[in-house]
Amino acid sequence: MHFKRPVIAYLILALFAVIALYPLIDMLLMSFKDLPGIIAQPFSWPTSWHLENYVNAWGEGNLLSYLINTAIVSVVSVTVITFFSSMAAYVIARFNFKGNQIIYLTFLAGLALPIQMIAVPLFILMKQMYLIDNLLSVILIYSASGLSFSVFLLVNFIRSVPKDLEEAAFIDGAGYLQTYWHVILPLIRPSLSTTALLNFISAWNGFFFPLILLTNPNRMTVAVGVLSFVGQYSTQWNLLLPALVIVMLPTIIVFVFASRQFIRNMTAGAVKM
Amino acid sequence: MRKRRWPIIVGFLTPALVLYLMFIVYPFLSSIRYSLYNWNGVGPLVDFIGLKNFTYVLFSHEFAPQFWRAVAHNLYFFVLSMILTSIFGLLLAYLLVAVKERASRWFQVIYFIPMVVPPVVVAYIWSMYLEPNYGAISRALTSLHLNVLNVPFLGSGALALPTIAVITAWAGMGFPILIFIAAMINIPEEMIEAAKVDGASRTKIFFSVIFPFIKPTFLTITTLNFVGAFGAFDYIYIMEGTQAGPNYATDVIGTLFYRTAFGGFGTTAQGVGLATALAFVGFIIVMIASAFLVLLQRRASMDL
Repeated sequence: MHFKRPVIAYLILALFAVIALYPLIDMLLMSFKDLPGIIAQPFSWPTSWHLENYVNAWGEGNLLSYLINTAIVSVVSVTVITFFSSMAAYVIARFNFKGNQIIYLTFLAGLALPIQMIAVPLFILMKQMYLIDNLLSVILIYSASGLSFSVFLLVNFIRSVPKDLEEAAFIDGAGYLQTYWHVILPLIRPSLSTTALLNFISAWNGFFFPLILLTNPNRMTVAVGVLSFVGQYSTQWNLLLPALVIVMLPTIIVFVFASRQFIRNMTAGAVKM
Repeated sequence: MRKRRWPIIVGFLTPALVLYLMFIVYPFLSSIRYSLYNWNGVGPLVDFIGLKNFTYVLFSHEFAPQFWRAVAHNLYFFVLSMILTSIFGLLLAYLLVAVKERASRWFQVIYFIPMVVPPVVVAYIWSMYLEPNYGAISRALTSLHLNVLNVPFLGSGALALPTIAVITAWAGMGFPILIFIAAMINIPEEMIEAAKVDGASRTKIFFSVIFPFIKPTFLTITTLNFVGAFGAFDYIYIMEGTQAGPNYATDVIGTLFYRTAFGGFGTTAQGVGLATALAFVGFIIVMIASAFLVLLQRRASMDL
């Protein structure tokens, strides 16, 4: 399928790369300008670098606590989803028992449920459990709602690998628990790390549930905390832009480090759809 | 030799099932129950009204027009995002499979980056660019003497929703591109070579060899886009507020539901019973459409 003259292909690809990255780089550059500079010359390279913008933004907002809260929510939910879904997927994919199909279908049904649609009963439930303004509320919702997608992908993936290794482990006297830990988990690692990254991104960027459940400024995550910051300093772009850069950098850095493996796994069918 | 199976089946399923039953299935069932009551969320659940919330959502003079307008906006949003995904997602995936692998990987990483940026940041950058007086896009258009095109994109009834669809696509295109690539990589080279020998043009090859081969994947992406379009909320809420302005031009089920459940500017009717009924109808729409698309997908993958 290779082109004889790939120049045009590269030009189109480069154009879209610029479209994807330009706004982010531009925001980074603008965040170092002073206010008149941002308004007067939005496209130019900064003439002087105003590092104090970052100091001011950091001092003005609750950015550190937003970042810590978001990191707690994302890391805990991803850990829970990764373990629970791989355990469930192993049993669903490899054991024949009554109710297997029903349980699998119950998890699958969650894929068609836009999760906001059950926001009201979840809000009431969290209120009854005294979890409003508690990060645990969002963690529980993300962990539960992330299960559908992960169970679906992992069951598909486990079913697609031959049973030989598991049988060999069995003959060597390994129990199911050891088989799961020493055979299944290493085997499904590409699929598992891919779903973990996707779950991490959606937990980090999740907006709706933090919006309704975390209203105390000290409990807010990035997505909602920054929104109130924006509302408060709407025209002080020299404060806002550094704040936006600060909250977007952690995930970009995590992603760029994980990206090689992630891209390879995704395109090699670690995620079968 | 046979080891006991039940301890592992029960032990391994319980954590996931408990979590899922408690925070997905139980809330879903209780939302069906709430939808049958006239209830504002406080006090006991006593005023049973049967299906009245549903008839109010679907047929009343006061609420139904808002509901159907929101559904129409969701559908419009879905069509727009499908057009954008089909044109740009497929084109870029097609090019990425054809160029050198090293370069291709770099482009894939770049295209995915906007997906990891929090929605509030995405929304803010684009509102800044699209600001009608001193925004960068407006100034660029002015300096290119294209004043005709210099309109308030987010403040125009006709353009606000398409603009948000484009921003959503900008932020989310990385995922479908990767899924399309995964499907295109598996196309046997001989099939394309054979078509070339027969003298088929590049366009012809795309439509008669490549597209049929990736059709199941295309339908999966369509399903994801549908579920995504009917769950649209973040950008609209952040850029247009709870009243989904201008003049409700971007009001979707998500924002209508938010106002009905939690109040805010532009609320005309509020109540937990009503909101859950509205959400349930939305869920039914998504479920029917997904079931239909999954059926098509099954059939398409059997044809291969």
